[in-house]
Amino acid sequence: MSVISRPWNRLTLAGKIILPLLALMIAMPIILLVAWASGLLPWLLGIGGQVVTDNIDVVRFLMAATAILLFTVPTAFVIIFMEMKIIAFINSRVGPNRIGPWGTLSSVVHGLKVLVKEDYTPTGADPIVFTWAPVVTYLAAVLGLLVIPFAPGLVGLDMNIGLLYFFAISGLAVVGLMMGGWASFNKYSLLGALRAAAQVISYELPLLLAPVGVVMLAGTLSLNQIVANQAGNFWDWYVFQQPLAFLIFFIAATAEGNRAPFDLTEADSEIVAGFATEYSGMRFGFFFFAEYVAVFILSALTVTLFLGGWNAPLDVAPLLAMLGIELAPAAIDLGGLGMGLLIIAAFGVPLVILGLTLLLAMLFSHWGWIKSLVVAFILFNVIVGAVVGLWAYMSFEVVSGLFWFTAKTFTLAFVFVWMRGTLPRVRIDQLMGWAWKWLVEIALLNIFLTAGAILIIQELTRR
Amino acid sequence: MTETTTRSLDDPDIWVDTPATIYDAVPPYPPRTEREAEFYHLRDGEMLLNLGPQHPSTHGVLRVVLKIDGEQVVDLDPVLGYLHRGVEKICENGDWHHAINQCDPLEYVASMFSEAMPVLAAEKLLDLQVPRRAEYIRVLCWELNRIASHALFMGWLALDLGGLTPILYGFIERDEIVEMLAAVTGQRVLFNYLRIGGVNGDINHDFMSRLADWMGRAGKQIETTTRLLNENEIFVRRTKGLGVLDRETALRTLCTGPVLRATGVPYDVRRAHPYSVYPELEFDVPTRTEGDSYARYLLHVDEVRESIRIIDQILHELPDGPVMAKIPRLIRIPPARAFVAVESPRGQYGCYAMSDGTDQPFRLRLRDPSFFNLQAVGLLMPGNLIADTMAIMASLDPVMGGIDK
Repeated sequence: MSVISRPWNRLTLAGKIILPLLALMIAMPIILLVAWASGLLPWLLGIGGQVVTDNIDVVRFLMAATAILLFTVPTAFVIIFMEMKIIAFINSRVGPNRIGPWGTLSSVVHGLKVLVKEDYTPTGADPIVFTWAPVVTYLAAVLGLLVIPFAPGLVGLDMNIGLLYFFAISGLAVVGLMMGGWASFNKYSLLGALRAAAQVISYELPLLLAPVGVVMLAGTLSLNQIVANQAGNFWDWYVFQQPLAFLIFFIAATAEGNRAPFDLTEADSEIVAGFATEYSGMRFGFFFFAEYVAVFILSALTVTLFLGGWNAPLDVAPLLAMLGIELAPAAIDLGGLGMGLLIIAAFGVPLVILGLTLLLAMLFSHWGWIKSLVVAFILFNVIVGAVVGLWAYMSFEVVSGLFWFTAKTFTLAFVFVWMRGTLPRVRIDQLMGWAWKWLVEIALLNIFLTAGAILIIQELTRR
Repeated sequence: MTETTTRSLDDPDIWVDTPATIYDAVPPYPPRTEREAEFYHLRDGEMLLNLGPQHPSTHGVLRVVLKIDGEQVVDLDPVLGYLHRGVEKICENGDWHHAINQCDPLEYVASMFSEAMPVLAAEKLLDLQVPRRAEYIRVLCWELNRIASHALFMGWLALDLGGLTPILYGFIERDEIVEMLAAVTGQRVLFNYLRIGGVNGDINHDFMSRLADWMGRAGKQIETTTRLLNENEIFVRRTKGLGVLDRETALRTLCTGPVLRATGVPYDVRRAHPYSVYPELEFDVPTRTEGDSYARYLLHVDEVRESIRIIDQILHELPDGPVMAKIPRLIRIPPARAFVAVESPRGQYGCYAMSDGTDQPFRLRLRDPSFFNLQAVGLLMPGNLIADTMAIMASLDPVMGGIDK
């Protein structure tokens, strides 16, 4: 046994991961070849294809869910980095600056750190509930993304009850927090969980009531349709027709995501870390990620409902048409070039780069040729990237939609971070009073006002 | 869970059968006093919560056992002594000079005041005349240290209420002051600068240039920090009317410093029992009448302004001359007793010293203001929410080094 185990133990962690993968990579072609020759693989593929075509809806759901799940991790990394850097700026600190350019990779390294940390279950905890709590929280945060339209046609599932689905799923997050707090066997965790339950359930009401006005205006619960209704210029967005609802929704979303100034569930100066006190390693990582994914999703939903989703703030096409400019994307038929494309790629690109190098070397004589070449290469890539991006932006709705959606969402995420850097925490009784005494009432008032306005406009237009 | 039996803490020979598993926070011995019996008897819905000694916001190693009913604090039991070193006894074993750096780390946020205690006591016992330049330098260092401590107080209060930023603004202020004090004393935190009969070395150019640089923007910096909090609705709502200490209770619990002055009693040792060159300086003793956390916070801001005023006067009137009186290295103090006190950032820092004719202090009793201010915790906290315990504790501004001694 020691013949195998001794060299195995000498390996580092990376080696222990890479070595089995290498063996698998060597064995895989042989296995596939045998399976193909024996007719097993074509048969399996045939059955698989049949199953997929029969259950295309389920497959689509699973694919979307997987894609969304994979998408959340880099999103969370970006928002964590944003938070570290922006709060550092607010605090007049430097912030992360060691790993990666301007510390951009430090949140990735944080992610790796929680992966390799010891995963500890305290004595007296309920191991099953304790283990599953972060999973529930994370899934509840992630699955809400399924119905968010990122761009025209780019939506996980275009449900006709998208908004309702979102609230149903995101309401489950509190179950995870309660499970974690209860199973941790710690009084701070319990207090945090009870606070979470009270807070999230209270703020669910204004969070649900605020978009009712939007739903009445749009006449649909499908988020895709709500965004499509806001097409046009920025004054067509619902935030200008429903400013009260927007404010209520944003405040309630802050509380729902347990963000400052409503981060009572993990108030570090009061109850240590709330429900996450006893968590370590990747289980804590799930809670941590879920928080930042929730920031992204709540921003995305606010953008979708009130800030026009993927619509550009100004529709320039009619303005340009008025000036007599037809802005149709140039149809470049790359196939028509034939061999020309190859020649351009083979000679044109190096020539342009060399030309840029020459130009740079003449402009900055102290640089030297190597540096000029590197800078020219980077410059060329930036220019080509910008040109291709601009072309894609003008030709494809998906690209332009994605651009505006991401820009708006991260602007709102910045507001969340900004509030965290600036504001102290509210007290639990102030928090609950704020929800029940003000937000719910104003949200109800907003519904009545919106209904009245819609009725009046309908009466006027009928005449 | 298995049942455990534990040795009694009172008598190690007695094994106490307790139903205590890890579920209970009850001590493994029968209640020793009536108060303890009442405290550890939990009524329906109540539970005990150990706040500290390792907790993010107990300002050191203070442990408070809270008896809570949901979010509400019903009762509490502060447990002290985690930082106890027996400083008073250690001081008796060295000579008078050694006592200075033993007292230094007591109040580690403003150690210029606690290190003054054996110095002033010995000077009073010797009836020693300290050079005027030394007195001015002492007052200058004290007031700078007071500002450093108060800047940190504002940040801490905000941090315990959940604001991340003011503590760092406070630390910027403190860092500048501490750096300039380090330029003259050689240390950032534990200065060990005062000497019996003067100070250890004259102020230098580095110190003066840093001080002049800082004085140019000190007032503005204070305004920036306070504007972040004073105009913040959440901060004001969380501190106003919270932890109201009335005048009689404050006097009865021997509170001093900003805690007492926030209740309307204008007691400041610098004016009530003047020492050093304070009678020659012009400054006010700010008071407030509300006695709540917000008043205590505002009082600290006012005191910073007064300190800047004092520093301004000192810089104009700093006399020339020696900074150390001519005294022998080995001081033998004739048998006598004396009480001296200074106004530290937390209140009256007092020292009752006895000498028996040798070169060592016979007894050095220190009166730490944090200890007496902390007594108010038991009166202020019950009935409030858990979140408010932090705001109250931070507004009393205890430093555990001095409390546990």
